[in-house]
Amino acid sequence: MDFAFTKEQEMFKKEIIRFAKKEIVPRVQEFDLNKAFDFESFRKLGDFGILGLHFPESYGGGGADVTTTVMAGEALGEAGVDGGLTLAYGAHSFLCADTIFKHGTEAQRKKYIPKLCSGEWIGCMGLTEPDAGSDVASMKTTAEKKGDKYVLNGSKIFITNAPIANVSVVYAKTDPDAKHMGISAFLVEKDTPGYTCGEPLIKMGVRTSQTSEQFFSNCEIPAENLLGNEGEGFNMSLQTVEWDRSALLAPFVGVSTYMLKRCTEYAKKRVQFGRSIGEFQATKRKLANIRIFGEAARSLIYRIAWCKDQGRPLNHLEAAVAKLFVGDWSVGPANDAMLVHGGYGYCHEYDMERIFRDSRLAPIGGGTSDIQKMIISKLM
Amino acid sequence: MNYDYSKKEFELFIELYQTVSAYSAEHPMDSGGDECRKNIQAAMKQLGQTPYLKLAIADIDGFYGTTTLMGAMEAVAAVSPSLYLSAEYSVRVLGRAIARWGNETLKKTFLDPLLSGESLGALALCEETVNVDNDPLATIGERRDGGVVLNGRKQFVVNAPVASVVGVVGLLDDKPALFLVETGAPGMTIDDTPGDALGYKGVAISGLHLRNCVVQEDRVIQCGPKENMTAILRLYENQVLMGASIGLAKASFEAARDYAKNHRTGGKPIIAYQEIGFKLSEMLTLYQASQLLAIRAAWTFENKPKEAGDLSLCAKVFCAESASQVAGEAMKILGSSAYFGANPVERAYCCARYGEVFGTSTELSRVKIGDAALGVKA
Repeated sequence: MDFAFTKEQEMFKKEIIRFAKKEIVPRVQEFDLNKAFDFESFRKLGDFGILGLHFPESYGGGGADVTTTVMAGEALGEAGVDGGLTLAYGAHSFLCADTIFKHGTEAQRKKYIPKLCSGEWIGCMGLTEPDAGSDVASMKTTAEKKGDKYVLNGSKIFITNAPIANVSVVYAKTDPDAKHMGISAFLVEKDTPGYTCGEPLIKMGVRTSQTSEQFFSNCEIPAENLLGNEGEGFNMSLQTVEWDRSALLAPFVGVSTYMLKRCTEYAKKRVQFGRSIGEFQATKRKLANIRIFGEAARSLIYRIAWCKDQGRPLNHLEAAVAKLFVGDWSVGPANDAMLVHGGYGYCHEYDMERIFRDSRLAPIGGGTSDIQKMIISKLM
Repeated sequence: MNYDYSKKEFELFIELYQTVSAYSAEHPMDSGGDECRKNIQAAMKQLGQTPYLKLAIADIDGFYGTTTLMGAMEAVAAVSPSLYLSAEYSVRVLGRAIARWGNETLKKTFLDPLLSGESLGALALCEETVNVDNDPLATIGERRDGGVVLNGRKQFVVNAPVASVVGVVGLLDDKPALFLVETGAPGMTIDDTPGDALGYKGVAISGLHLRNCVVQEDRVIQCGPKENMTAILRLYENQVLMGASIGLAKASFEAARDYAKNHRTGGKPIIAYQEIGFKLSEMLTLYQASQLLAIRAAWTFENKPKEAGDLSLCAKVFCAESASQVAGEAMKILGSSAYFGANPVERAYCCARYGEVFGTSTELSRVKIGDAALGVKA
């Protein structure tokens, strides 16, 4: 076994942290307060090469391996980038762009990937429906082929980036009777007639990401916007799970390092009863809890990344274990970090309040903790 | 980066698991009493035929020190926690101390018999305040007539009643020292084993008294000025308890999983009920997370020693608490089957608490981890 990162990876991580602290973090609190998407920061992520990090250079990407890509996500969290922006990045780069890259034609790749890598375009993925969350097979959105077009009807909900996306990977049933194998994936560009998005949902956390419904009402798209073949959509959606369980979780691990740093800074400065609160064992206990969580989660996530780099098929049990751990065990440390800051931790002035809200998504997004437990209990 | 053990390492883990399983099936080692102690001593000789006792002490081709050791520890601890604890305190705590700081004569005299399993060793570190980190050692050696006279009191010494040599940690010239005292040495008396322990029932644990116990000077070991002997010994002990914890978590989880697949109620196996299936999922998550963290901490000890101290404490706390939690949940899944009669879950439930209390306790570990985050020097 070997848990070492290369020197290049470690230097790259430091560089991302430096970049993010300078270019992104100063605006995080303001955008969170205004529930606004930070287009400038997103574009800077593209300019820095993060949005397209794992795509080949010939498509405008960085050609990085999965481990390095996961490390970039951890670095963003460690720098203090908010969960909204990292979620937007994840939905854009992994759920949308990666699906296009993996399953698209060369023409589709050339059309979309460079723009998505640079951040010129924003992508999203429409899978969840009001009555079809984890139970994907019961989705009701349909795509009917008429000549050289598909006609989409239905709606999606909780779609990250939907209100701001230029292109959406949309899953719809081409064969409504075929359950999973009747699902296909399509590319739908914004301004396509018949396609509209709802107002951004007001969320508890990850507020800078824009999340809304998508509506398809006799939405006609060219037949060449089909991704792969009819009936392959379900398997495509499953393949995004590898990213869900590694790169999308990585910012939560990075945030634990950030929380620890902020908490120690605060605990050293804050004086009560004539001494800094860091001198009290109750405070040290909370700092320890944050560190312990981060260390345990880190190993699980990089294991998924490393396996993907080895070209191994996803071990769904290990992936669900990583997701369940980060989802359910990250809430406690975020709570501890808020408590270390006391009343200030409860106020927006300090970002522990935001981080606590952001952390609540971990057991819900990308497959709830209960779904992970279902997967694990079936596979064990 | 590489998250896999090699084929050779896996083969060793399987060999150990099977060897100890086969032996313990015929020779109980975890139920307590003199018979268990004898069985453990005999099992040590069998382990001495494998590479196990030498891991992280001697270089063995194809094995990678503490990293390989952690996987081997898990395999042995899962089958017989008492054999594991006896073996580990003998070789991995005392043995490693002799290997690290002892001269060739001491290694030949004391280390070789430990590594072959011919004899057991003990390390006497704990004193009345239990925690030597907060209070200075009260066991003191004084130079007298070309020897050292040792006085002090130790408690909770694993293997003390059955060891052929005890490494007593005390102060000599105001510096930490390890005094190697052979069983039967005048001035050293071994206490009666205190009443029934909660777990590790097969292990002989007791206190000892040193009253003007004379130790030859050439059997006193001290480390260099840049090393902290007690901290290193604690780290060795914490590694042992990490290994125990992941072994106990493995045993509890696997017993509960197998039971849940086979025990039927309401016409279906109980694993089919979400309350059970979800509980098992959480247990597996804790087991896998602690296993990986323990291995990473072990790897860090070998490869980035400066980072190993804090990370090992994190791993020790997480593994020990996870083992207790997993064993507790396993107990609920097995229900009365676990509560009555000796079985792996009841055993793990009782043994897991040891990991939280001994070594650097989870409470003190958290304080130290917090101190490290705050930049407070130990």
